Amino acid sequence: MSEQVSFNIKYNTFNQEDVMNTAVAIAGQEELKEERIQLVSFKIGNEEHGINVLKVREIIRMSNITRVPNTPDYIEGVINLRGKVIPIISLRKKFYLPEAENDSRTRIIVMDMDNELMGFIVDSVAEVIRIAISEIQPPPPIVTSGIDQECISGVINHADRLLVLLNLEKMFSSEERQSLADMIQ
Amino acid sequence: MSQLCEDQELLEGFLTETAELLEKVDDDLLLLEKSPSDMDILNRIFRSVHTVKGAASFLEFELLVKVTHKGEDVLNRLRKGELVVNNMIMDAILEAVDLVKLLVDDIRKGAIIERPIEGTIAKLEAILAENEPESETHEAEPVQTASEDSTPPSEPKSEEPPCEEIRIVAPEPQQAPPDPPQTVEKDVSSASQSSAGKDNSDKSTLRVDVKRVDDLMNQVGELVLERNRMSHLNSDCLGLTSNDSFTDEFGKLVKRISFITSELQMQVLKMRLVPVGNVFRKFPRIVRNLARDLGKQADLQIFGEDTELDRSVVDEIGDPLIHLVRNALDHALESAEERVAAGKPKVGCVTLSARHEGNNIIISIKDDGRGLDPDKISAKALERGIVTAEQLAVMGQKEIFDLIFLPGFSTKEKVSDLSGRGVGMDVVKTNVRKLNGIIEVKSELEKGSEFLLRLPLTLAIIQSLMVEIEGEIYSIPLSAVIETLRVKKDEFCSVGGREVLRLRNSALPLMRLQEKFGIVGNDPDREFLYVVVVGVAEKRLGLVVTRLLGQQEVAIKSLGNYLAEVPGIAGSTILGDGKVALIVDPAKLIDSGEEEIYRQASSF
Repeated sequence: MSEQVSFNIKYNTFNQEDVMNTAVAIAGQEELKEERIQLVSFKIGNEEHGINVLKVREIIRMSNITRVPNTPDYIEGVINLRGKVIPIISLRKKFYLPEAENDSRTRIIVMDMDNELMGFIVDSVAEVIRIAISEIQPPPPIVTSGIDQECISGVINHADRLLVLLNLEKMFSSEERQSLADMIQ
Repeated sequence: MSQLCEDQELLEGFLTETAELLEKVDDDLLLLEKSPSDMDILNRIFRSVHTVKGAASFLEFELLVKVTHKGEDVLNRLRKGELVVNNMIMDAILEAVDLVKLLVDDIRKGAIIERPIEGTIAKLEAILAENEPESETHEAEPVQTASEDSTPPSEPKSEEPPCEEIRIVAPEPQQAPPDPPQTVEKDVSSASQSSAGKDNSDKSTLRVDVKRVDDLMNQVGELVLERNRMSHLNSDCLGLTSNDSFTDEFGKLVKRISFITSELQMQVLKMRLVPVGNVFRKFPRIVRNLARDLGKQADLQIFGEDTELDRSVVDEIGDPLIHLVRNALDHALESAEERVAAGKPKVGCVTLSARHEGNNIIISIKDDGRGLDPDKISAKALERGIVTAEQLAVMGQKEIFDLIFLPGFSTKEKVSDLSGRGVGMDVVKTNVRKLNGIIEVKSELEKGSEFLLRLPLTLAIIQSLMVEIEGEIYSIPLSAVIETLRVKKDEFCSVGGREVLRLRNSALPLMRLQEKFGIVGNDPDREFLYVVVVGVAEKRLGLVVTRLLGQQEVAIKSLGNYLAEVPGIAGSTILGDGKVALIVDPAKLIDSGEEEIYRQASSF
C-alpha cells in the first residue's frame, strides 16, 4: 500500500479527495492518479490556501457589510448579493490571525455550503490552478495557525509554494452550525 | 402523450376529485345528523358516493368499489325513504366513509393494501337485509349508471382543445367533473349523477399549482425592493440634474410604477388567500367524535368561515387549533351532570370563530366550561419549579394564565390519550409565533375561557418603522408598534435596577437597543432620544433608539439557516440603497426583557 493510504488509515484523515486517493491506490490504477482537480488559491496573511473550485459560486469585491449583533466575532455580518442576504465570515478571525486592514485586493469568496450561500473574506485571490490528485500530500501532524486539523484535507507543493487545502464545509458543518446556535443563545 | 402519462393524469384527477367529494360528504353527513330526513342532503351524499364508485370502478380499484357499492346501496334506500336514519346507520355510514378515505389514501401513497373491509361491509349488508323487496329494482340502476359513469373519466382523452388548454395552463387536467354530469343528466331521468361538478362551477375558479403562486409572490417581493430602490434613486437625483422636465417626468413615472407595484402586490397577496373555513370544516367531526369518546355533550358553533387568510397560515394553523379544541373538550368542559348541578345547560358549547381586525385575523376558541383556575395553575407551576413564590407574588391574573404556555406544564392529573401530556400548549404557542402571531387567553372561573389567536395577514411583506441606532439602521415591524415618543435623556428613571419611563401613570420598561445589539455609540451624551413603544398582547416595552427614519414597506428576507437563531432579530431586508438592514423581533425582545425581570426579581 502507498504511503498516502497507510497515512490515511493511521491518522484517520479521510475526506473526499482522500477517499478517492485510497480507492485509487487500492484499485491500483496508475492513470487515475493523474486525474486533475481545480483549486482556487487565496492568501490569508502569509499562508496560501486552496479550495475546490466546484464549490465556489463567485468571487466579489468587498462591499458594505451589515453587522449582525450577538454573533461570534468571526461572523462579520451579512451582505446583499443581488437580492439574497448571505452571511460573511472573516477567515482571518476564524483562524485567529491578527487583524489587518482591507485593501484593494481583499475579496469575498462566495461558496455553496450545502445549498446555502456563504461568503468568506480573504486577503487576496491568486489564481485557479490545476493539480493532479496525486500531488496532494497529507498535512503535517502539527497544528497550523489555529485551523482545526479536521478542516485541512492536505497540502500541496505547487511551484515552490505550499498550499494548504481547506475543507470549509467541515469547518461550517451542521454540527458547527448547531453549536453556533447554542453559542448565540 | 404516452399511456403512462395519461394514466398518471387520470390517477391524479381521480385523487383530487375524490378528495373534494369526500370533504363534501363529511360536511353533508354532519348536516344529516341534525336533519336526518332531509332528502336533499341524502341525495347529495348518494351522488357523491356514486361518483366515487364510478371512478373507482373505471380505474379498477376493487376494494374501493366494494365499499362504495355497499354504501351507495344503503344511501339509495335512505334517499328513497325506505330506510330511516338512526344512530346505527349513521355509525355504519361514517365507518364506511372512513374506510373509503383510508383506501384512497393508500392509492395516493402508491401502495394498495389489502385492508380488511369485511366488517364494514357486513354492517352495511345487515342494514340492507332489513328491507328486502326493493332489491331488484335498485340492482338495475347501479348497472345502468355504472356504465354511464365509466364514460366520464374517459372523456378527458377525447375532449376538445379548450379542455386541453386548461390542462396546460393549470396542471390539474380533470376539468371533467363539470361536463359529464350535465351531459349524462340529459339522458337519464333518475337523479343519480354527481352534482359535485355543478357546485364547483358556481364560482368559476382555476386550479393552479401552489408553487407557481409562491414563485409569483417571490417575484413581486423582489419587485417591491427594486421599486424602493428606484424611489430612492429618484429622490437622490432630484437635486442633481437641472433638467426640470426630465426630473418631473421621471418623478411621475416613478410614482405610477410605485402605485402599480403596490396594486400588483395586493392582488398577488389576495391570490394566496383561502377562507379559514377550509380549516374549520374538519372540526364538527372532531368535536362529535371527541365528545362521544369523552362521554360529554358538546355543541360546536362556527362563525366567520369566509374570513380569508394566507394559504401558508391556513396550513400551519390546523394543528394548534385542534389542540385547543381538544383541550376545551377534555379539560374545560364539565360532564353533563356537573354542568346541570352548576346550573349550566347540559350541552357544552364550543365556539370557533374568525374575524378581521386591521391587518390581522383573529381566531377565537371559546368554551363555556370550567374556566382557568389561577390558584391551581400557580400551585402546579410552583410544584414544577417553573416559577418561584416571589415571582408568583408579583404576577397578575394574566401573567398566571400565561404560565400554561411554558414547556412542561399541565394541570391534568390523569394523562389521557388526548391531552395532558404537558407538551401541547407551548407547542401551540411556538406554532403561533412561527406565523408571527400571538396567542392570548381570557378566562373566568366557572364561566369559561377564550383563546385568541392574532395572526398577521401577510407574511412576506410588512410595513416597518425604520430607525437608526448610533449609525446603524434597523427595521421594526409596524404591526408591533404602538406609539413613538421623543424623550429627554433625564426623563428615564430606574426601578429595581431597570430603566423605565413614566408614561401616563404607568411605568414602561425600557430596553436600550444600543446595548442589546452591542453597537458602538457615537455620542453617549445625547440629550434627546426616541422611544418606540412596542406591544405584544398586553405587554409593552419601550425600545430606545437614536433617531426615527420613517415608515417603509419592506420585503422580509430570511437570514438563512446559519444565522437563524440570532436573538432579537427576525430577519433582514434590503433598503433602497442596496444595503441590508436587520428586522427586529419585538415579541422576542419583550420575552427576553421579561426574563430579565424574573431573574432580577428572584435575586431579591
